Amino acid sequence: MGSTGNNAMSHSGISYPQLLETNNLMQNCGDETFWLCLTRTVQGSKLFPVSPYILLSYLNAFYRYPSLLRKIEARLPAEQIADRARNMGMKIQNSALGWALPNFYLLGRELLLSLGMLRPQDALEDVIFVMDFWKRYMLSWHRNDGHITNREFGHRAQILPDRRLEVFHRDLYECVPGDSLHTAAHAFLAMASQYGFLTSCESRISLTNSGPYRLDDHHELIVRDFMDLAECSLPWLDGIAADVPYNYLTVPMSVRDCHFTIVDDWGSFESKPDFTAEHLAGVGLYTSDALTEGYMPVGMASRDQLIATLHSLHGVLKEATNKLWLRIAGWTRDQMVDAGALVYYNIIKDLAHVAGVFEVDDWLTIDRRAARFRPLLNDEFAGQMLGSLVAGLDLPNHQQSPYVMMQHSDRPARTYTPLPYSVLSGEEYVPSCGPIQPGSSHLDPKVDRYRTSAGTLTLDEYNRRARDFTPALCTDKYRFLCETWVKYNHHTALANELYELEQRESRTLRGRGTGNRPR
Amino acid sequence: MKKLYVDEDRYGATPANLLVETVRNAVTELARRRFDASAVDWPQFVFGVSDQLITSQDFADIERRILDTGYRFGWSAVISQRERPDIYGGADELSADPAGFSFEHPEAATGEPDSNGRAQCGFGENVVRRPANAVGVARYVRSSDRVIEYMKSGVPAGTIAIIDDSGGTLTAPILEHFAGIVCAGGTVRSHLGILAREYGIPCLMNARIRGIRDGDRVEIETSAAAMAAEAYFGGEAKLARVWKVVR
Repeated sequence: MGSTGNNAMSHSGISYPQLLETNNLMQNCGDETFWLCLTRTVQGSKLFPVSPYILLSYLNAFYRYPSLLRKIEARLPAEQIADRARNMGMKIQNSALGWALPNFYLLGRELLLSLGMLRPQDALEDVIFVMDFWKRYMLSWHRNDGHITNREFGHRAQILPDRRLEVFHRDLYECVPGDSLHTAAHAFLAMASQYGFLTSCESRISLTNSGPYRLDDHHELIVRDFMDLAECSLPWLDGIAADVPYNYLTVPMSVRDCHFTIVDDWGSFESKPDFTAEHLAGVGLYTSDALTEGYMPVGMASRDQLIATLHSLHGVLKEATNKLWLRIAGWTRDQMVDAGALVYYNIIKDLAHVAGVFEVDDWLTIDRRAARFRPLLNDEFAGQMLGSLVAGLDLPNHQQSPYVMMQHSDRPARTYTPLPYSVLSGEEYVPSCGPIQPGSSHLDPKVDRYRTSAGTLTLDEYNRRARDFTPALCTDKYRFLCETWVKYNHHTALANELYELEQRESRTLRGRGTGNRPR
Repeated sequence: MKKLYVDEDRYGATPANLLVETVRNAVTELARRRFDASAVDWPQFVFGVSDQLITSQDFADIERRILDTGYRFGWSAVISQRERPDIYGGADELSADPAGFSFEHPEAATGEPDSNGRAQCGFGENVVRRPANAVGVARYVRSSDRVIEYMKSGVPAGTIAIIDDSGGTLTAPILEHFAGIVCAGGTVRSHLGILAREYGIPCLMNARIRGIRDGDRVEIETSAAAMAAEAYFGGEAKLARVWKVVR
């Protein structure tokens, strides 16, 4: 690759197919972002300055994601992290990977473009890398349904393999409205959701739903994950969440007479009729993290134990909610903005946890290049600018030829500015925004305590163990034993072994292997 | 003077919002000046010297110039107005006497008392259709102070919370104790609507109401059809009524 200046590059290292693909990925992200933001949410908060922190997070993502994703990938390729994600419920699903990773980055880019501080060809190799990382991750994570996003699948997410769905299904405890399990599950689900909005500073990013999966003519399975519940890489939970015993909880739910019509890349759903507690017909409870062999049952030994566990978790989360709310109510605006910006920006931090390369300075500080924008981020400007970026599309950079009719609105606009092909005919470009720069935060420093399935660990220990660990299902022996292979090789000893591995912790299927006949 | 790359834009338009336009113009002008003074070309400027040449103080100066015109920003989070009342307008609403306060939406549909002694005070969007309407006592929950008060004393039984925050955090410690919610903002898919659905609390979002005071007895039409998500994208909106029970 030739250079035309200290930072400028000529085209020789970039190919036409790379640009074509990157622009396609960006266009798909932009079309979906417009639809999601227009139809799926209207948010406001009198507690948190939401729009200011969102804009700050976008800027931080733009300046830091390329370097941090390269650091992660140097340890573990995107598609291998996604193999792990397919077998557990960490914060590397939706909305973190399905939407936030590319769109936070691209919205930061578009914000800088709108302010004249960037050209379309600046950070060009960063853009290509970020989108390529995302594409490889998503293809791997979605490999069972064969799509890149829920959007591409008509807003559906069928991530899990047959062997895991079989365990979730067979191990469910049935419940009906009014019985003890239904009451306990309903209360827990509401409380955990409430707690999640609070830990995530008024965003929905700590819970997600995937599915639906067909159970029978009257039941569908929806899988809900609650993430970052305990003392973890969100410093405001230090002390507050010391009694929360699991950082990640997964709740498979059997839902009666309710069809899920939309499960989007935010992990939100629509159903007909509305999924209310009356439709909950079965429930399970699991935990997982970067150190577990997939999903581990929680309180699943008996129905009574599950009821008691859900009651206990409800109480612990209620207590943590009250404590955290009081902590937040005492924060300054700068602290609120930083917490919101960090929880948004570091929505993909679990990639670093799985790779064993998480560092506090990487994920819990605002890069000084982003931090300098703080004085602009009053509530009104931030709210209006955010609206323009995601739905209004009324900034100069959004405008296209008057002949253009964009998806969903027919307007001559687009959410994201494509990379210009002119770099292939010699127009110079700048490859990267460079390495991360020192950052800062108004929040209390992170206490060196991380709740994991292996107990509460220091960060060094957590990283070391994560680097040293590969779940059996993700080892070379089993990793590529896909659904197609199982379809035609279910009778083999290796297939039986694969299923037995998944069934090790199952209360109903342990040791059954592939002998359990399909429904 | 050097130009910015984006200065030549065949299709560019003026931002719809005046404040966005003002800030954008100020920042692009700043970038243009600093680029011109830098004596380097753009590739050296964009991720090199510009990081040092365009500073936090520059952005503070832009804010100051806007404020010097007499303009005051609108606030969304209470903390913003409380910490910097000098830059945000609308402080009066925060200090209003809760006992005498009421939402007064200009589009609220109102009416005379019907045969059941209910006078319509507005309408909203029903989150989940329920077998019956919810009836209770209206209590405004619009500040952290009110939430702390209820954390200490408990939420009075039968409280229909009247809220103008469609988020799920302001009322987090007390939400599960509400008998009903009327939210003067958001949509049925806002966080408050999602949580009301999770808890099974009767809830109307995006309510346009007037004349309801703290302590009034109210009825909300949660037996009405739920607002469908597609209604927000061109479909037909179905509205649920809010009444004050006057006798």
